[in-house]
Amino acid sequence: MRNPLFKRIPKEIVSDWRKYLVIIVFMVVMIGVISGMYVGHDSMMFSVEESREKLHIEDGSFELSKKANEELLTSIATGEKANVRQFFIDKGMKKADRQVAKELEKALTENVKKVLEDEVRANCKAYGITEETLIKQQVDKTINEHLEDGIKKAKKSEEFQKNESEAYEKAREEVIKKVDKQWDKIAEQYDLDENDFTPVAVKIYEHFYREEAEDNNLDGEKDANLRIYQSDSKIDQASFNKGRAPENSGEIAIDRMHADNVGVSIGDKILVGGTKFKVVGLLSYVNYSTLHEKNTDFMFDAFGFDVGMVTPDAFEQLSSRVHYSYAYQYENKPANKIQQAEVSNHFLKALITQTLVHENELEDYLPEYLRQASNFAPSDIEGDSAGTAIMCYILIGVIAFIFAITISNTIDKEATVIGTLRASGYSKKELIIHYMSMPVIVTIFGALLGNIIGYTLFRNVAVGLYYNSYSLPNCHLVWSEIALVKTTIIPLLLMFLINLFVITKKLQLTPLQFLRHDFAKTKKTKARRLPRWSFMRRFRIRVLFQNMPNYLILIFGVIFVELMLCFAFGLPDSLDHYRENAPNMVFADYQYMLMSSQDEDGKTIETNEETAEPFCMKGLLYPKKATILARGMGSGGDEGVTVYGILDDSKYMKLPEQMKENEVCVSTAYRDKFGIKAGDIITLHEEYENKSYEFKVSDVVSYDGGIAAFMRKEQFHKMFETEEEAFNGFFSKNEITDIDEKLIATVITVEDIEKTTVQLNHSMGGAMDVFKYALIVLSAALIYLLAKIIIERNEQSISLVKILGFQNGEIGALYIAPTAIVVIVFSVISFVIGYYLMIWIFQLFIMQMDGYFAFYMKPFSMVLSVAYLLIGYAFVSVLDFIRIKKIPMDVALKNMD
Amino acid sequence: MEKNFLEIKDLKKSFGNGEARQDVLRGMNFTVKKGEFCVLLGPSGSGKSTLLNIIGGIDTPDSGFVSIDGDKLEDMSEKQLTLYRRKHLGYVFQMYNLIPNLNVKENIEVGAYLSDNPLDVEEVLTTLGLQEHKYKYPNQLSGGQQQRVSIGRAVVKNPDILMCDEPTGALDYKTSKEILALIEECNEKYGSTIIMVTHNEAIQYMAHHVIRLRDGVVRHNDVNEKRIPAAQLEW
Repeated sequence: MRNPLFKRIPKEIVSDWRKYLVIIVFMVVMIGVISGMYVGHDSMMFSVEESREKLHIEDGSFELSKKANEELLTSIATGEKANVRQFFIDKGMKKADRQVAKELEKALTENVKKVLEDEVRANCKAYGITEETLIKQQVDKTINEHLEDGIKKAKKSEEFQKNESEAYEKAREEVIKKVDKQWDKIAEQYDLDENDFTPVAVKIYEHFYREEAEDNNLDGEKDANLRIYQSDSKIDQASFNKGRAPENSGEIAIDRMHADNVGVSIGDKILVGGTKFKVVGLLSYVNYSTLHEKNTDFMFDAFGFDVGMVTPDAFEQLSSRVHYSYAYQYENKPANKIQQAEVSNHFLKALITQTLVHENELEDYLPEYLRQASNFAPSDIEGDSAGTAIMCYILIGVIAFIFAITISNTIDKEATVIGTLRASGYSKKELIIHYMSMPVIVTIFGALLGNIIGYTLFRNVAVGLYYNSYSLPNCHLVWSEIALVKTTIIPLLLMFLINLFVITKKLQLTPLQFLRHDFAKTKKTKARRLPRWSFMRRFRIRVLFQNMPNYLILIFGVIFVELMLCFAFGLPDSLDHYRENAPNMVFADYQYMLMSSQDEDGKTIETNEETAEPFCMKGLLYPKKATILARGMGSGGDEGVTVYGILDDSKYMKLPEQMKENEVCVSTAYRDKFGIKAGDIITLHEEYENKSYEFKVSDVVSYDGGIAAFMRKEQFHKMFETEEEAFNGFFSKNEITDIDEKLIATVITVEDIEKTTVQLNHSMGGAMDVFKYALIVLSAALIYLLAKIIIERNEQSISLVKILGFQNGEIGALYIAPTAIVVIVFSVISFVIGYYLMIWIFQLFIMQMDGYFAFYMKPFSMVLSVAYLLIGYAFVSVLDFIRIKKIPMDVALKNMD
Repeated sequence: MEKNFLEIKDLKKSFGNGEARQDVLRGMNFTVKKGEFCVLLGPSGSGKSTLLNIIGGIDTPDSGFVSIDGDKLEDMSEKQLTLYRRKHLGYVFQMYNLIPNLNVKENIEVGAYLSDNPLDVEEVLTTLGLQEHKYKYPNQLSGGQQQRVSIGRAVVKNPDILMCDEPTGALDYKTSKEILALIEECNEKYGSTIIMVTHNEAIQYMAHHVIRLRDGVVRHNDVNEKRIPAAQLEW
């Protein structure tokens, strides 16, 4: 026979459906959101990883100035370095030989001619011929007849042969000398003489593209720069989010995110380089998950840049120049980043030398692991959502306590029944199971429904957020173990353990104690003496004392509500704050990053802009400590730190006077994110080399734009062993116009920083408001549950005072006022606690990502988050009052022994 | 009814310490035979409820022992005591202690669930005259009807001993007689040994065995030769 006590559960749910509805909605929403986020994340990561394999992402690419011949491609594919020195020597020798031969021939001819002329003149003299005209005729005749023979004869002479070999030798020596001089310079520049070179065999694919102007609204003006690839490409392929690949020369497929941003849909016509194309597909190229036009771009630009696909025929018909780009894949994939860096370094040497000896020119080279367009999004998606998960657990904890308190109240109320059941032979275990089943069932139900909604609705919301930010492939639903653990196992365990603890403790009493309502551990609790206040006031205080445990839970709940409200108001505030502060996040109005400090001719780059000031820069990594809380979806990796070398008398960054060697100042963002202070030692390491540097933090400088460390320029050169004149860019107040654009890698201005927030707003905008109002509703629901417990707990007393003749208003003053006082007093205290808790959670969240983003709340939002709580409670107290009015008088009588 | 089923030997129990110490049971001895209807009679404070609780295994004596069918309760662990109550006892209290959100039938099933050989719930409902109320909830019933349900919950277990602690204490005269008649019927029909605590002198006339308690000791231990059916009791 099934335990008939179980029949109580559905009845209890029906009789108190409002409470359980609120709890279930609560759990479903929270679990749904968390599960959706995890599943969305895992699905997206899986799809990204899968697409890299399926769509044949390159391991790197290079561009040549002209189409490569078969021989060059085969040579590059071997990964072997070409002997550039020998190539130049051979080339020089040939030229020199030709020149020597020519010179020798000339000299010999002159010599033979002179000998023949001398001979003729001697003969003429002997025959007494003096007339010059006759002599000249005879000379010309003899030269014509005997020059060839004379040269032949002369060439056979020992003298000539000696001179000839001397001339060749001298010329060749000269060539070698010249080549070696040049070679030393090149070899040093590209490290070509390194001994530990290992050939890296690759497979090369043609991946030509053209760049055309895109006019997507047919107004005759260029809207974006469109990079076009051919549809038959075997590498870096695309997945189609909508539509299909182009099939004839009038069709084109373009990037899905760009199309979304500029409002182009399938079926629309766009002009590409003046030719009309019909958009038949919206795609996502595996190597363009973010639309970075140049790898050095600070931020991607999904509005002004686009990638597209046309058929080979259409590609042929386009007029702009072809970029001879080749993509390659390693025959043996490197295992990690360090190996990737090594391998690409070796490959670059082969590439440079082979291109050179095959008389082509290398225009661009980029290994995939450094490619922003394919790595920016995945590394961004990787970040965890520890913050939200923690919020979820705190909430489940609060709900578990609500359950535990409710059940504990029920146990008190049903004490005599429990006593009777125990006396009749029900075991403690059976009763524990009975009282545990409700919270467990509700949690299982909440988790189940939450997961269903998570796997469907919220997953799509999460995936939608990713799609709003990046050009990503279609995403398939992936089963996520982490989601199951975090959204189902942990909440269940939390609910189970908290309730088990409270219920087991509560059911420790003997049957007789239950029958006698004998709950107190010590027989006599000392009565608290109260001052001679009015009766009602003392009564109220007594109510407060009696309900202390319930009020503790209420306070705990109010803190949580404030935490949620801080989150709801703080997130949009922080974004706004970031945007407003963007101008303070750059050192200078213009920050130019140069490709190198020298131009192609080896001359130091200079500018006439007066405000320009050179600086050095280097990217290093700071190790992040993995914690239990911060682990999860992604590793997060190490934090990128930009180390700047600043001039002593810099106009843009004031460093303390006495900064010693190996000392740096860190940015405020660095300090806030990692809690670094002056005097600390930080160790930074290279990303692609096993090299690390130790710095002592001398001070903190106000800069919120990034995780950065600043040192004196001269110390920078010493530490990183760079030349004293070297620098990486200019800070400038005004735009620099006299530097060749080719030499500039990036320019960072305030607008670029703002672009990030625009992109964030674009990605999260709508979701943030929904989130905010959902949290406000959840907060009100939580207060409702907490206040309900207190009234329920006091039902019998309320009923009794009703019998005694107290009016509803007076009862309200007795039982609602203490709750109101607690809520009002603790609303402010809880806000402060919630605010700092939020900062802590936010910190955890930020730790998962790169860069720093401070949590900020506007003062008005702070007032609002307290006000919302109080307004919410005001509504709840009206409900409480109605509830008090409804409590019948027989409650007191029926349950009395 | 020959065999001694329940044996109480030198049972002592006191509450409090020092001056506040109160000896509730001061060496109590008696036996009850199987199938007997035994009434424990006495004024307030005579120790009758404490005695019942000790026999029921929900309270423990300071000394002496209770043995049921040869098994001493003092030798039992808490688990064994629970099992003892589960398998052998039925409890009826002055307050009905029904589960408010279970209906009449389900409240009786709560008892049936505990037993290895429970009586038929429907039959018990009929015996107790609760058929027409079986789907009602406790708060829809009168005190007498609630007490019937509570008897039903105890009886349906088919217990060896039915412990009744002032079962009519909260009921009016008419309803009390009905309830007593039901307990009598259970005794006759199902052969349960009944131990009933009461301060109502009239009830002694329906019992086989009357034990009078005063100040924690047995004053009289009588066998009732001339029993009167419950329906004919007057007080």
